[in-house]
Amino acid sequence: MAFIKIENLLKKFGNMVAVNHIYLEIQKGEMLTLLGPSGCGKTTTLRCIAGLEKPDDGDVLIDGQPMFSQGFVPPSQREIGMVFQNYAVWPHLRVFDNVAYGLKIQKFPRHVIKEKVMEALESVGLTGLGRRYPGQLSGGQQQRVALARALVRNPKVLLLDEPLSNLDAKLRERMRFEIKSLVRRMHMTSVYVTHDQAEAMVMSDRIAVMEAGNIVQVGVPEEIYKKPANRFVADFIGTTNFIPGEIAEVPKGRELVYIQTEFGEKMLCRVFDSETAVPNQKVYISIRPEDVEVFTKPPDGRDNLFKGIIQHRAYLGNFLNFFVNVDSTMIRVQVAYDVRQKEGEELFLFLDPEKCIALT
Amino acid sequence: MSRGNLLISAILWSVVALFVIYPLSFLVIESFKIAGTDRYGLQNYIDFFKDPYYLKTFGNTLLLGVLVLATTTLVGLPLAYILARYRLRGKVLFTALILLPIVLPAYAGAFALIVFFGKMGTVNLLLMDWGVVSKPINFVFGLHGLVFIQSLHLLPFIVLSLSAGFTNIDPSLEEAAEVEGAGGFKRFLTVTLPLTSPNYLAGAVIVFLWPFTDWLTPLIFGQVDFLPSISYINIAYHFTDMHRKYMGIVSVVVSSVVCVGIFLVSKVWVERKKYTALSKGTTLEGRIIDPGILTKVSAYVYMFFIAILVLLIPVVLGLSAFSRRWVLQPFPSYWTLDNFRLIFLETPLLLKNSFLFSGVALFLGVAFGLPAAYLITRTKVPGKNTLDFVITLMLAFPGIAVGVSYLLAFWEGIPIATHWIIMPLSLFVRRLPYFLRMAHASYLQLDVSLEEASEISGASKFRTFFNISLPLLLKGVFVGLVMFFIMAFQEISTAIFLYRGGWETLPIGVYLNWHRGMEFGIAGAMAFLMIVIIFILLLIVARIGGGILGAAWGSSGGRY
Repeated sequence: MAFIKIENLLKKFGNMVAVNHIYLEIQKGEMLTLLGPSGCGKTTTLRCIAGLEKPDDGDVLIDGQPMFSQGFVPPSQREIGMVFQNYAVWPHLRVFDNVAYGLKIQKFPRHVIKEKVMEALESVGLTGLGRRYPGQLSGGQQQRVALARALVRNPKVLLLDEPLSNLDAKLRERMRFEIKSLVRRMHMTSVYVTHDQAEAMVMSDRIAVMEAGNIVQVGVPEEIYKKPANRFVADFIGTTNFIPGEIAEVPKGRELVYIQTEFGEKMLCRVFDSETAVPNQKVYISIRPEDVEVFTKPPDGRDNLFKGIIQHRAYLGNFLNFFVNVDSTMIRVQVAYDVRQKEGEELFLFLDPEKCIALT
Repeated sequence: MSRGNLLISAILWSVVALFVIYPLSFLVIESFKIAGTDRYGLQNYIDFFKDPYYLKTFGNTLLLGVLVLATTTLVGLPLAYILARYRLRGKVLFTALILLPIVLPAYAGAFALIVFFGKMGTVNLLLMDWGVVSKPINFVFGLHGLVFIQSLHLLPFIVLSLSAGFTNIDPSLEEAAEVEGAGGFKRFLTVTLPLTSPNYLAGAVIVFLWPFTDWLTPLIFGQVDFLPSISYINIAYHFTDMHRKYMGIVSVVVSSVVCVGIFLVSKVWVERKKYTALSKGTTLEGRIIDPGILTKVSAYVYMFFIAILVLLIPVVLGLSAFSRRWVLQPFPSYWTLDNFRLIFLETPLLLKNSFLFSGVALFLGVAFGLPAAYLITRTKVPGKNTLDFVITLMLAFPGIAVGVSYLLAFWEGIPIATHWIIMPLSLFVRRLPYFLRMAHASYLQLDVSLEEASEISGASKFRTFFNISLPLLLKGVFVGLVMFFIMAFQEISTAIFLYRGGWETLPIGVYLNWHRGMEFGIAGAMAFLMIVIIFILLLIVARIGGGILGAAWGSSGGRY
């Protein structure tokens, strides 16, 4: 049985539907990320789990206990920890008192509180800073205080609302791994909200991609990246090329279909969703820039081979980017090795049928 | 919608209904009463607007408002620009000095000016001694004197609002104008000034409406033909003459309608303007310019001039407080502490009353203001915007309207006026919007997530309020609290209607001593004492606001 269970969750603000009847299950010890652009309902979903928002409909269960719909358990009774986007570290309390706050409410004996707080501060690397005020800490350190405060009570669930978005790029990258290993070590069930797809890929066991109040796909990072459920997911996660077309032929017994594209040529393509694989269905073929193979001379016997003119060439150190004009469709290509062709010259692109995905 | 929030809303609404809506509607209804009968009608208003005397009074008041606004704007505009934009040494000190009149009672300034600029005042006596003039020059008695003293009193409001405007302008907007070729003065006229207009208007309304509120200063200068002054005289002295009484009441209602009307129009206008002038990415202190040597010298001369005018008030009051028989000589020659001995030995009651009434008013203000601010910023209780609106309207109501309406409504209907609690009650109601605004502002600065984090940690709403919200809010409202206290401490225009023997406050004492035969010594000593108390309060604000508390809150990068 899932540790957190969300069923038919609906949350409206006035007439605006923020979360539209979603279902989600999170397993014990799992780190799940709610990923999506701003306004997609990910934070609202998180706040419904926390009890900071009261849903309009649906059920929220944590550890088998109903939090909403059969009554409403206030956030203070849910035994959760939460890290806020702006840290929400109380500026009038010292670091120690910030972390000890929840323990004092639970009326632990003083020596226990001290022990637990010291341990929590140590685990986030803030040993010795307990007597400081938050104002005397850097943004990264305040972030760690928030983390220690969320973890010190050993909550059932840890909720993180874009916790790294206020940090600079270098620190953000380091904190990703720190938070991940800390949460792993404690076997903490956690829900992480972010709009940063790279962060989601690094940190999560599973990702739930949200768009306009709906969950459009749930899966492990690799699945989300390699088998996006629709055009939105393919576009939002990483970069990709879209080639519009129409399914021409569905050969029996094969996963590949033929698609008529604007190039005037048929392309071979994978379809994961059997409902899409019907003739005359309008589709977009998605292929990632790094999945396009590049040739200076046309190799023999390959499907999906196209000739194009290099429009732009960009050197980025660890790889090369080309924008190649194929029959006035621009295809973005990324290669990790040196290709000497210059702008205006010809290039042959091999769009591997196994890596071309037809999406609606 | 929790039941707790509804309960808070219900309590606040009943307070507003009983102490704001009830007395003010009583006043309005009373103004329609036809003298000597039980009937109601428009007769009083027809009489008022047909009587050339009252029309002239109305016109005078409007004229005074225009003149005061024009004067403060002309003087305040350069001053605000200097204070907001130039990098100058001692700017903080000058700012503090120039803003001082805000906390000084207007009547104290009037006394000081009469002693210094009056017909037999220091300046005239010196001029005659030196043979510059043979007869004293009338510096202050008349409209020009009124304009002078009210402008001096109201200058801070214009300077504050304008310099806030100058500081808030995104520097890039001005830089863009300069890049486009609009240098110096042209840039100021085409970009800076228009962007400042919403701020200016907010201050200008306070200034323009002041003559509709201040009845005492005209009286001190021997002028009665202004709406608030004639209302005071009619109601306080001619309560047996029914016609004059009703004319007084109508004057109060007319003043109130003008004030509230102008206030509402300006509010709508400012809201609209603010929206269009919205800009992001302003720096903390705005654009700061290093002035050239000529500009620098002129700026200092200008600031000195105004600072000296302002300083005249406490200095002259101080001189008269520590002297007796300061008549017909430019400076006092007989120094004594008698005035203070009189105050402390014979009338310590005044001091006690002042502190008691202001203190109780402060307590009521906090007890009402904090929940009201909470309701308005943190909940979705129906009617909260109306509540906000009604309270904000009190900002525009002349003090005299509150005083008169309390006198009418709480004398017969609900007899609270027989108990001293009416004094702090009226102070509290008068200053309600001030405290609400301040509490509101600090609630807006208090990030909701700080409270949410506490709830997540297992704290109840109640506990969250006392552990997290209140300590954080107190810092924000602390300065506001002291300002509230200062305002209540010097309040006279409401209190004068309501006090009875034994309830006199320090400001009323000042007024009575002046009134009973020009006893400047004692009046001056009382006014001086008030200024000292106010000054000490200001020091406390500066000390605590920036010192001990600063370490805990101020250094968090200004985020909270």
